[in-house]
Amino acid sequence: MSEIVKADGIAQPILTVSALKKTYKDGTVALRGVDFTVKAGEIVGIIGSSGAGKSTLMRCINRLIEPSDGYVYFDGIDVTKSNKHQLRYVRRQMGMIFQSFNLIARSTVLGNVLNGRLGYMDSVRGALGIFSKQDIEDAMSILERVGLVNQAHKRADELSGGQQQRVGIARALAQKPKLILADEPIASLDPVTSENIMDYIYRICKEDGITCLINLHQVEFAKRYADRIIGIRAGRRVFEGRAQDLAQDVVQEIYA
Amino acid sequence: MSYERCDDMRWKKFLLILVLVAITVWSMAGIDFSIKEIVSGMGEVIRFITVDMIPPDISSLFDLMQPLLDTIYMSLVAVVVAAVISFVLAYLASSITTPHPILQIAARGVASILRTIPDMVWVLLLVPAYGLGTLAGTMALLIAGVGLLTRSFAEALDEVDKGQLEAVKATGASWLQTMSRAVLPQFLPQFVSWSLFGLDTNVRSSTMIGMVGAGGLGFAIQSGIKLFQFEEVTMAILMTVVLFIGIEMITTKLRRRII
Repeated sequence: MSEIVKADGIAQPILTVSALKKTYKDGTVALRGVDFTVKAGEIVGIIGSSGAGKSTLMRCINRLIEPSDGYVYFDGIDVTKSNKHQLRYVRRQMGMIFQSFNLIARSTVLGNVLNGRLGYMDSVRGALGIFSKQDIEDAMSILERVGLVNQAHKRADELSGGQQQRVGIARALAQKPKLILADEPIASLDPVTSENIMDYIYRICKEDGITCLINLHQVEFAKRYADRIIGIRAGRRVFEGRAQDLAQDVVQEIYA
Repeated sequence: MSYERCDDMRWKKFLLILVLVAITVWSMAGIDFSIKEIVSGMGEVIRFITVDMIPPDISSLFDLMQPLLDTIYMSLVAVVVAAVISFVLAYLASSITTPHPILQIAARGVASILRTIPDMVWVLLLVPAYGLGTLAGTMALLIAGVGLLTRSFAEALDEVDKGQLEAVKATGASWLQTMSRAVLPQFLPQFVSWSLFGLDTNVRSSTMIGMVGAGGLGFAIQSGIKLFQFEEVTMAILMTVVLFIGIEMITTKLRRRII
């Protein structure tokens, strides 16, 4: 935390997104200039209908998708200008959670969690899967935290959806991230499991002081779990504020 | 659909059939394909099989053991080496895994050239360099195998789940790590399955290419015919059939286990 909180005691933004634009090769304009900042330790929910650009926005932050224009500053680094080496350094500090979990289906649960350590490892050692004893112990204690320690040696695709998403959370945590990017983490889950997963994400972020950006299309979940909400429509930010400021007519405008 | 259009289509169909028949008749005339010729030759075929080729010469079993083993060795060595080379080439050739588009085009190009030239031709090209025998045969199978396996492997790699790839990339993994930790687990079953298929193909091909001088059972059959030792040839053919069935049974069983 010491790097984030400056001398004056005010939490500095850990993430600044500025005039971010993305036009795909086929001409589709996904982002038309999005600006916002996220303070360290904050949980920010991004809401908007499907196709509004939420996923693109998130992937431009860790450059799984190359932005066309604009800036992303993360912890003092210009991510958009980072070279390969710097990008690895940035990405390993951003854990990502996906709608379809994206676990390596044929690998074990533990193997999937250990993948979270790859960004910290020598390329060859990582490729060969030679993880340190410390990494394995850490991975096991993370699995304990998400209640899956007994499933550690099972194949990932043998688990239920909710369990798989908990492995997804565990993989992100294994990165010891400063920021978690959660892209529709509950969109493929039933309501009860969804709540359980949101509880895990919320609790872990708050306990560990991890900043979190969550894409959600359900407004109710965003209102309940997010400290702040950003509304995106057609690639533009149309709302920013606290949950209680999100009036019904504003919601209707976002989803119009 | 209007009546005229339906009529139009009928005409087109009729014309197509007419053209096909014309081409076939022309071709038959070109190769003297006549029922009379076929029937008159049939008697000789039956006599050749029943009198000259039967009974198979069981005593040649021992002599044919070495050619049989040669066929298996050739097929196995060729597929293992081809699989290793193709593994690397396929990573370059697949749009998902290639480190650079130019490498992708180059790898695909090499694979299609190797694949288009039949292994029989490769033997003919290689015999002057390596002489008659199993080395030329193994090399031919190897080259043709790289063509087949690179293409098959690359197609398997193209179908890798991109979500899994994305997730590992997002952790800050390097290219090598992503390939090994995200792509390899998805690709490995396909890799083994296609390699076993390659072994199967090699055993069949090695008999064929043996006849043009690449050693093994094919060579034994060919030289037996030249020396009029037809009963020994029958024995070699029987062994070939048993080998085909045996290898296919083994590879099918192994492939089923993996998938």
